[in-house]
Amino acid sequence: MRHILLSAAAMLILQLLTPFWWWIMVVPFFFGFVNGGSGWRSFRLGMMSAGLLWFFAALYELLTASKIIAMRVAEMLSVGSPWFLLVVTTLIAMLTAGAAGSTGYFLRALLRSPETLSNNKEG
Amino acid sequence: MKWIKLLLSAAASVALCYILNFRQGQVPPLGKFLNPFAGFWLNNERMDDLPSELRLPGLDEIVHVVWDDRRIPHIFARNDHDLYFAQGYVTAHERLWQMEFATHGSAGRLAEIIGPAALEYDRFRRRIGMVYGAENGLKAILADSLVLTNAEAYAAGVNAWTQHLAYKDLPLEYKILDYHPEEWTVFKNVLLLKYFAWTLSFRSNDAAMTRARTHLGDKAIDELFPILPPFVDPVVPPGTTWDFKPIRLREPATKQSSSNPFGQRAVESAPSAAATQDEQQFVGSNNWAVSGKLTASGNPILCSDPHLGLTLPSIWIEMQLVAPGVNVYGITSPGAPGIIFGFNDSIAWGLTNAGSDALDWYELKFKDESKREYWHAGQWRSTTRRVESINVRGADSVVDTIIYTHHGPVVYPENEKPFDSQVPVGTAMRWTALDESNESIALYKLNRARNYYEYRQALASFDGPGQNFAFASVGGDIAIVHNGKYPLRQNHQGRTISDGSDPSDDWQGWVPHSQLPFAKNPSRGFVSSANQTPADPSYPYYLGYSYAPHERGARINDLLKQKKQITPEEMLAMQNDLLNLHAKKLLPTLLSLVRSHPLSEDEKTCLRELEEWNLENRATLIAPRVYESWWGELYGMIWMDETDSGRVAQPGRDVTTHLLLNNPASPYIDDKRTERVETFTDLALASFQVACSSLQKRLGPFGPAWAWGKSRSTNIQHLARMPGLGRMKLETNGNHNTINAITTGAGPSWRMVVELGSSIKAWTVYPGGQSGNPGSPHYDDFLTNWLEGKAYEVLFLHSADGQHERIAARTLMRGGE
Repeated sequence: MRHILLSAAAMLILQLLTPFWWWIMVVPFFFGFVNGGSGWRSFRLGMMSAGLLWFFAALYELLTASKIIAMRVAEMLSVGSPWFLLVVTTLIAMLTAGAAGSTGYFLRALLRSPETLSNNKEG
Repeated sequence: MKWIKLLLSAAASVALCYILNFRQGQVPPLGKFLNPFAGFWLNNERMDDLPSELRLPGLDEIVHVVWDDRRIPHIFARNDHDLYFAQGYVTAHERLWQMEFATHGSAGRLAEIIGPAALEYDRFRRRIGMVYGAENGLKAILADSLVLTNAEAYAAGVNAWTQHLAYKDLPLEYKILDYHPEEWTVFKNVLLLKYFAWTLSFRSNDAAMTRARTHLGDKAIDELFPILPPFVDPVVPPGTTWDFKPIRLREPATKQSSSNPFGQRAVESAPSAAATQDEQQFVGSNNWAVSGKLTASGNPILCSDPHLGLTLPSIWIEMQLVAPGVNVYGITSPGAPGIIFGFNDSIAWGLTNAGSDALDWYELKFKDESKREYWHAGQWRSTTRRVESINVRGADSVVDTIIYTHHGPVVYPENEKPFDSQVPVGTAMRWTALDESNESIALYKLNRARNYYEYRQALASFDGPGQNFAFASVGGDIAIVHNGKYPLRQNHQGRTISDGSDPSDDWQGWVPHSQLPFAKNPSRGFVSSANQTPADPSYPYYLGYSYAPHERGARINDLLKQKKQITPEEMLAMQNDLLNLHAKKLLPTLLSLVRSHPLSEDEKTCLRELEEWNLENRATLIAPRVYESWWGELYGMIWMDETDSGRVAQPGRDVTTHLLLNNPASPYIDDKRTERVETFTDLALASFQVACSSLQKRLGPFGPAWAWGKSRSTNIQHLARMPGLGRMKLETNGNHNTINAITTGAGPSWRMVVELGSSIKAWTVYPGGQSGNPGSPHYDDFLTNWLEGKAYEVLFLHSADGQHERIAARTLMRGGE
């Protein structure tokens, strides 16, 4: 849980300071690489931290000032309602951040693993 | 095993990142776009806000912007430079994407943004010389330091807004299409004006008329396409005398025979189509001014409602501009400095499209395949070549070479298929919009004009597009000018394709501005126009042949002739008038022909509806649906045989209606494709039956679905036709021949009523809203009132400091670092 919040906080700061969306991939990749535990745990860390962050950030916009634009974009993307657009936003964050998190872990696992060397030799 | 996992996971990550970071077909780059910290979620209501104080390097002095409750900016500056700088800044804040997209469209640069799908559109724009014409327009501005200074100030204002935009601040459409705004330039102002010239004067039915000449012969052409069609009440009241000595024209050297007119090659080699009635009537406008003699207050009243293709963001933005020497209110197109329709503290004006012919085609004889030389005036003349490079997103640039003659560009060579089917292939185009002209100085002067004299002076530089400018002044004058730069031509010259090798077919100069059709303070007490023929045949120059049918103009004049003690409220109601004058003329006869015949139950229901109709094209009524379908079928049955199924030019509505009412035995009525000879009665009955049954097929059994508003709805599309950003299926009143001329995609893009008393009062509305931001409530907030025919009273301020309950916010702009 602590890691999830830490990851979300890191993303939040980076997203506020820069216009790039892909911090939600970079940060979980880093967490997965440094301290992943397992592929699934790294996936979950990315998924949860980015999902929570984007869900609450988009929810805040939706509730404060973005009702009109969300309705129009929901129609444009044929997703029905602004609430479903919020779900899509969250799912996309979860999926991409999760994939990046597990990639971080798997890369680290590959570099750490003794059999990597032997595999490479065999290959 | 581990590397397989890595590979799969990394591949998924990279693929997701790629897909979400770049536009996929029509889908925006979803990662960027859905990002709640920079994506579309931020294109919300907060984007409308401007701080109460701004520091804008480039301003010389302080500028006050007062925002009223409708988000109209009232800009108060201490000099012209700051006025236009602030106008540029404020306009860019509201409408940046739209103004840039319009100029990209004008310049044929959409493929840069959209990709290969826009290539042929762009190529067409380049071929008709939009960039070439804008370069000529720029020359005129560069030679006029006053206009240049203002245009540069406007551009600096736009750029002052744009240069600090971060990704998150970009208008929504940039995020959807995934590109960035570029620097605004004076050239873009010109491109925008050329865009209007294209919309309003790039019309040609010459290929279809050339075919009609061969097909029907000269006698029929003169009968079916008269200079003054029946019923039409010209813009300038008939009987007006012309107190000038007209310029004598050269006699035409060539007497073409109708069996072999020029341009046969051009029109036979390509399947170009005649403009349909609907295409010809897509845009139009009304304006009128009544003298104080006819109004309740004793003050003149001016009314203006231009009908254009309707889009969101709206084509217009409303504002007030105040500086020493000017206090003007009205609308302009985002990207054009100043005000185009409006009023100042002394005069008011409104425009309708003139419709006079500004475009001719010349058949050419080239020396050989290289097309380096063409025959003209008994010698070979050299062509020039212009190379246009079209950048295409996601593909290689396309280089296009266009051949120019002294007439103008060869738009499509004989072996190519034109993007616009009205273009005759292999011909050179002569179009006034490509000439050097300076409409900006005209608008600058018009915004500051104080009386009739200054108004006429200002219009002398407004070359195109040709417009009927209606005028009224606090001083009590009313006037109208059929204004523009019109070529001197023989009668009917340019109605068909001209001979590009014969100098006597070249234009012979221009109608002098002082000799244009105009009326000032006519005895009837009002002036008006609705795109109809400008003057009766006593006017000494030939200006064109294809003007709007009589209904709107005649209805306006009928109503104004009956009125006394006119109030502004009545004028607004008149702009929303729905009486279908065409039906009023023709329906009684049609009904009398059909009534006595045995009809099915369904047909009887339709007939009953028409018998009880109050002749209004109101959204809730079914009768207008039945009538319009009936007329459409009838018109087709009369002319499909003569016009080779619509390939040759189709006679207008006025000529057709007149024929039916006054010469029902005319041979035109018979459908020559059948053995038997059809009478008017036969056609009336057959067309009625076809209309009823096809309505049933299309709309189901007679019922609410048939209502005019439901079955003929109006779509106000987004400018780039993006789904979700327009307002679709609006149940609207009116049609193209009612004063309130709303059609499926066009209509009054602005309604204005101005009363010119000691203090000026005005009412306005347009179908949109001030903000170009689809996330703003001000994106389309005027639409409801527009639909209901209501207008807003204008807040016309005289100083920035005054208090008024309708003032919503203020922005103070300071110069310096």
